[in-house]
Amino acid sequence: MFLIDLIMDIIAFFCIYAIITLSLNFQQGYTGIFNLGLYFPIIVGAIITAYLPGRLAMVIYGLDPKLDFSANNALVLSILRSKLSSDPVTSIALLTLTLAAVAIVCYIIGFLSSYPALKLPADYLALFMLCAGESLRVIGMQTDWLAGGVMGITIVNPFWWLGGYSYYGMASFTIISTILIALLYHRLCESPLGRLLKSIRENELTAESVGKDVNGVKRKTLAFSFTILGLAGVLHAFLMGAVVVGGYTRVDFSFWPWLMMIIGGTGNNIGVFLGTFSLVIMRRIMIVGKHYFWFLPFNVVWFEPILLAIMLMVTLVFRPEGILPERSPKIRDYLRKVLKLES
Amino acid sequence: MVSQTLSAGQNLELEKRPLLTVKNVSKRFGSFYALQNISLTVPEKTIALLIGPNGSGKTTLINCISGVYWPDEGQILFDGKDITEMHVHDIVKLGLVRSFQVPAPFKKMTVAENLLVCGQDNPGENFVSSLNRSRWRASEKESVDKMFKVLKTVGLEDKVDTLAGELSGGQLKLLELGRLLMLNPKMMLLDEPIGGVNPVLANSILSHIINIRNEFGTSFLIVEHRLDIVMKYVDYVYVLSKGNLIASGTPSEIVERRELYDVYLA
Amino acid sequence: MVPSPILLTALVYSFILSLLAMGFTLQYITLSVPNLAYATIAFASTYLTLTFSLMNLSPYVAMPFGFLLGGAISFMLYKFVAFLRNRGTSIVGLMMATIVFDLIIYASMNIYADYLAYVFKLYAGSFSLSEFDFEIFSFPAVLFISGLTSVGLVAFFTLMLVKTKFGVAMRAVMENFNLASVHGINTERILSIAWFFVGGTAGLSGSLYPIWFAMDPWVGARMFISIFAACVIGGLRSIYGSLLGGFIIAFSEVVVTYFLSLYFPWIWAYRAVTSMVIAAFALVEMPSGIAGLIEKLRRG
Ligand SMILES: Nc1ncnc2c1ncn2[C@@H]1O[C@H](COP(=O)(O)OP(=O)(O)OP(=O)(O)O)[C@@H](O)[C@H]1O
Ligand SMILES: [Mg+2]
Repeated sequence: MFLIDLIMDIIAFFCIYAIITLSLNFQQGYTGIFNLGLYFPIIVGAIITAYLPGRLAMVIYGLDPKLDFSANNALVLSILRSKLSSDPVTSIALLTLTLAAVAIVCYIIGFLSSYPALKLPADYLALFMLCAGESLRVIGMQTDWLAGGVMGITIVNPFWWLGGYSYYGMASFTIISTILIALLYHRLCESPLGRLLKSIRENELTAESVGKDVNGVKRKTLAFSFTILGLAGVLHAFLMGAVVVGGYTRVDFSFWPWLMMIIGGTGNNIGVFLGTFSLVIMRRIMIVGKHYFWFLPFNVVWFEPILLAIMLMVTLVFRPEGILPERSPKIRDYLRKVLKLES
Repeated sequence: MVSQTLSAGQNLELEKRPLLTVKNVSKRFGSFYALQNISLTVPEKTIALLIGPNGSGKTTLINCISGVYWPDEGQILFDGKDITEMHVHDIVKLGLVRSFQVPAPFKKMTVAENLLVCGQDNPGENFVSSLNRSRWRASEKESVDKMFKVLKTVGLEDKVDTLAGELSGGQLKLLELGRLLMLNPKMMLLDEPIGGVNPVLANSILSHIINIRNEFGTSFLIVEHRLDIVMKYVDYVYVLSKGNLIASGTPSEIVERRELYDVYLA
Repeated sequence: MVPSPILLTALVYSFILSLLAMGFTLQYITLSVPNLAYATIAFASTYLTLTFSLMNLSPYVAMPFGFLLGGAISFMLYKFVAFLRNRGTSIVGLMMATIVFDLIIYASMNIYADYLAYVFKLYAGSFSLSEFDFEIFSFPAVLFISGLTSVGLVAFFTLMLVKTKFGVAMRAVMENFNLASVHGINTERILSIAWFFVGGTAGLSGSLYPIWFAMDPWVGARMFISIFAACVIGGLRSIYGSLLGGFIIAFSEVVVTYFLSLYFPWIWAYRAVTSMVIAAFALVEMPSGIAGLIEKLRRG
C-alpha cells in the first residue's frame, strides 16, 4: 500500500511539474518569452481554489452565513465534507467551476500584464514577471481572508465522495488533465503556429517583416500559458488539500521548472518531459532521504536550493542544450506525417 | 542640374501610376540627419535602383519606408495609402515587403521552415484553428508548393533541410530574397540582394526579377553597389549622398554624368 | 504633517534603496545582464550585522566586512558570468548563472540563520537591531550614517568617473564594450573591479538595513521588487535615473502607504506591492522612465 501511495504521489507531482515545464517551454523554448515568474499565475490559481469552491459550497448547502470559510475553516470543512461525501454532482460542479474561473481570470491577467511587460527588453521582462509573482505572494501571505494568510487554509476535495480513495480520485484527474494538456501543446507546437512562434523567437524584426503581428502573438502566447499555469495551480492545490501561499516560492515553482526544462532540452517537448520526470523523482527521493540528516544543526531543506544551483551550473557549463536538443523536422517527414502527402 | 533630371522622372510618372511615393522625408539620429528632405516615386511595374556611397542613408530610407523607423518629418504613401506611421507587419499586409542588407534569417530553423513561415493568412497560425489540421492543411499545401518553386528560383533546392544558421553568406542573401518571393507582394525593397552572390547567379536572379515584374507587375526598389551587373536591368536610378537625393534619371542618363562618380569615390 | 518616525524611515530607506538601485543599474549596463543575485548579495551582509550585535559589538563594525563580503561574492559572480559569456552563452543562460549564485547565497544565509539560532538559542528568522544603535542630536545614528554613506559613495563614484583614468576607461566600456576592447582597454580588469566595487556597495548598504528595519532571510526577495521598480522608473540604463528612482520608490512606499493606511489600515502590509504597481503603470505610461523624460525635456 505504501508503495502505491508513493508511486501515485510521484506521478501526480510529475504531472503538475510537467504542465508547468511544458508551459514554460511554450513561452521560452518556442516563443522566446523569457518568463521567470511562472509562479505568478500558479499562485492566482491556488488563491482562487482556496477562496472560491469552499464558499460556493457554503452557499449551495445553505450554511450559517455567520460562519466564515477562512476564520472557521476547520468547522466549515467538517460540515462540507459530510455534505460533499454524498454529493458527487456538486463536487464535480465545484471542480469544473473553479477550473473555469481560474482559466478566465488567468487569461485576462496574462493579457493585461503583457501590456507593461512587452514594453521591456527580454531580460527585464523576466524580472517583471518575477517581481509580479513575488508581489502576489506577499499579498497572499498578508491577506488572511483570501487564502488564510501565512498559516494557509484547508480546502475542499472534489473527490470526497470516493471515500477512502479520494486522493486517488484527484490524482487520476490530475493525470488525465496532464495528458490532455500535453496533447494540446503537442498539437499547437507541430502546427504552423509552432513554426510561427519559433520564428518570433529567432528574429522578431524578420517575423514582423514577413507580416506577423509579433506583439499580438506574444500577447496571446502569454495569456494562453498563464491560463494553463493557473490550471496547474488549481490541480496542485486540490491535490495538496490545502493552500499555503507562502509555499509557492520562486525556487520551487519557477527555478526548478527552469532547470527541468534546460536539462531536458529547451525547445523540445519530449526532452522537457524527460527532464521533468528525472528531477521530480530525484526531489521526491530527497524528501524521503532528509530524515536521515536529523543530527545537523540546521534544516536540511536548504541543501535543495544548493543542489539545484549546482545542477544548473553544471548544465550551463557542460550541456547548455540539454539531454534532447531541439530538432527541426526534415521536410519529407513533415510532408508525410503532418500533411499526409507523399512527394 | 537636379531639375533637369527630375523632369525625366516626371515623364516616367505620367506614363504609369505611382505606387510608392516618398514626400520630403527626414530622419535624425540624435542631432545627425541620416536623411534630409527626400522625395522620390516608384511607379508600378518599375524597377528602380537606389545608389550612393557607404553611409549615405540608403538602408535608413528602406527602414523608413518599411516601417522599422518612423520618419521625423515627411510622408510616405503606398498604393494610395499613408503608411508613414504604420507598423511593419501592417505594411507587409498591404503588399510592400523588404529584405535586409545583413541577412536576418531564422537561424535555428531549416530553410524550408524559413520559407514556409512566410505564408500569409494561414489558419494554422491561429491558436484555435491550429488544433484542427483539416482547417489548415489546404493552405499549408499551397505554401509547400510555392516553397519548392521559390527554392528552385533562388537555387537552394539541395539546402531545404539545412538550418539557416549554417548557410554561407551568399546563400543567406538568396534565402533573404526567397522569403520575399513567398509573399506575393506588389512591391519589394531589396537591400543589396546580390551582395556576395556569384555573377552568374546574380544575373540569373536579376533576370528573374525582370520576369516577376513582367508577369505579375511587381515593382522594385533595389539598393546595390555592383552597378556593373545591375544597371542594365533597371528602369530608373536615384542617387543618395550624405542623406540627400542628389540626382535621378534613367540608367543611361546617370552613366553619362561623370561628376556622380566622384561622389561615389569620395 | 508626516510624523517624524515615518519621515526617518523614508529617509533611511531611500538612502539604502537608491544606492542599491544605482548599483544594479551599473552592473546591468556593464554586462547587459540583470544580476538576479544582487539583492541576495546585498542582504547577506545583514547577518554580519546580526553576528556583531550578538557579540556585543557595534552593528556599524559590520560595514567594512559587509563591503568585503558583497564585493567578493560579486567578483566571483562576474568571473562566472564572463566565463560563460566568452563561450557564447545566451542572455538566458547568463541570467541563469546569476540565479545559481542567488540560490547558493540564499541557502547559505538560511543555514547560517539556523546555525545562529542553534548556538545562541534564539530565533533568527526575523530580527531588528535598532536597540543597538546610538543617537546623534537625539536622532538615530543610522540616519546620518546611511545618508553620509549614500552621498559619499555617489560623490566618490561620480568623481572617479569624471576625474580618473579608470573612470574614463570605465565609461568607454559602459558605452561600447566591443569598441573599448578593440581600443586596447582591459575590459576584463575594469569590469571585475567595477563589479567588486558595486557588490561591495550593495553589501555595505545591506549591513545598514537591519539597524533600522526588521529583517529576515526573505527580505532580499522582497527588496528585489523595490530595486526593480526603482530601475524601471529610472529608465533601465541610466545610473542617475535609477538613483532618483530609488528615492521616488522609497518615498512612495513609505509615505504614500502611510497616508493611505490612515484610511485603509490594511494597506501598510502591502508596502512592497505598491512599488510593483507603480512600476507597471510607469511602464505603460512612460516606458523610458526618468531618463526618457529628461531626454525629452532637453530636446524641448
Ligand atoms: N540606428 C542608428 N543610430 C544611429 N545612427 C545610425 C543608425 N542607423 C544608421 N545610422 C547612421 O546613418 C547613416 C546612414 O546609414 P545607412 O545604414 O542608411 O547607410 P547606407 O547608405 O545603407 O550604407 P551602406 O552602403 O554601407 O549600407 C550612417 O552614418 C549611420 O552611421
Ligand atoms: Mg546599407
